[in-house]
Amino acid sequence: MQDLIISGKMKMADIINHDKRALVLMPRFGIELGFGDQTVKEICADKGIDTDFFILMVNVFLNPGYFPDRKLKNLDVDMLLLYLENSHKYYLEEKIPYLENLLEEFKNSVDHPVTGQLEKFFTQYIDEVKDHLAYEDHTAFPYVAALSEQIRKKQLDLSGIDYNIGVFEERHDNIEEKLSDLKSLLIKYFPTSNDRYIRIRLLNELMDFEEDLINHARIEDKVLIPIVAQLEQKIS
Amino acid sequence: MSKSLIIAEQSEIIRKGLVYIAEAIGIFRSVREVACSSALMDHIERYQPDVLIINPGMVSIENLENLKEQNKGDLKIAAVVYALFDDDLLNAFDDVIMVGDTRQKIQRKIHALLDKTPPRKASRPENTLSARELDVLKLLVKGLSNKEISDKLFISTHTVISHRKNITHKLNIKSVAGLTVYAILNEIISMEEVQ
Repeated sequence: MQDLIISGKMKMADIINHDKRALVLMPRFGIELGFGDQTVKEICADKGIDTDFFILMVNVFLNPGYFPDRKLKNLDVDMLLLYLENSHKYYLEEKIPYLENLLEEFKNSVDHPVTGQLEKFFTQYIDEVKDHLAYEDHTAFPYVAALSEQIRKKQLDLSGIDYNIGVFEERHDNIEEKLSDLKSLLIKYFPTSNDRYIRIRLLNELMDFEEDLINHARIEDKVLIPIVAQLEQKIS
Repeated sequence: MSKSLIIAEQSEIIRKGLVYIAEAIGIFRSVREVACSSALMDHIERYQPDVLIINPGMVSIENLENLKEQNKGDLKIAAVVYALFDDDLLNAFDDVIMVGDTRQKIQRKIHALLDKTPPRKASRPENTLSARELDVLKLLVKGLSNKEISDKLFISTHTVISHRKNITHKLNIKSVAGLTVYAILNEIISMEEVQ
């Protein structure tokens, strides 16, 4: 698959057909499928999404080498936060419960006492992910929202807010290590299960989740952090 | 300017890039290109190159060994790699040039080939754990710290850390929780011991 750099003139359906990873992005922008042959620009106009913002986000998400540069300047921070919160919601309400169900099914298909340990390991991993997401939802994002609000009202007073994006950057540690271990165990070391498809399904979903999280982290590193750093400079 | 080089690679953009980098070294009297494997043997026979840089996809391991035998070590062969290849195949080359390598690195590698330095013997990937690594793994999954492990095994913490790195590298598992599952699965420790 070749990299895809999208533009406003492209048809949304073509983008998804070219790169299926774009599919999970639709609900994060509040876009429903069934848009016919509409272009990115048309759909964005319809939904009240800033087209440049949409293009920037999708390109960063789909392309590890894409660097947004100047386009960041006029980006709507609230829109970005909404997108990030929607992503978290998807992980927490959709993806993680699904993974948990699959693991349960897998556990039942393997006749080995070690599955208890595997479950413990998996639970630890999921808890780490949840902690990470909760920290962003309850500490980092509200700070960014407050910052943007102050700039809008031209209050420019940050006393009372004891936080800065540097803290976020430091805490933005990787939560991928355990996931990678889990993959190795399932691919290489677990004994054959009674139902081979459940294992493939589980692995498929884990890899999908892993990739999604990596792309999501790139949005935070390349878009969120630089933007907030810019806002902070405006105020200080 | 007495050496000669053949570059065998299907992709023109990569082939030309290698030609450009190799010519810039200034030690080759001739740099020839081969774009498909059918012409390769003929070229080698006719031009007797000192160095061959080749895409491993264009040659089988048997061909490669034959080539080396025929030329009795006078021909140095490097692979140019941008896909996943079997380690056994790559180990049969004198060196491996990655497409992402910098120009300096590629030139250094070519120099090293001609300097008659003994061919790089890439260590065969060994995935089974040594007895010592097993000792470390057992204690690690029981929840001991590096310091505790070093006291128990009478080795330095530095050595413990190096064993841990090797274990992680061989198994592709980093976390202690993941290693625990591995250890139980392979009956290195029992379920009871980790509780």
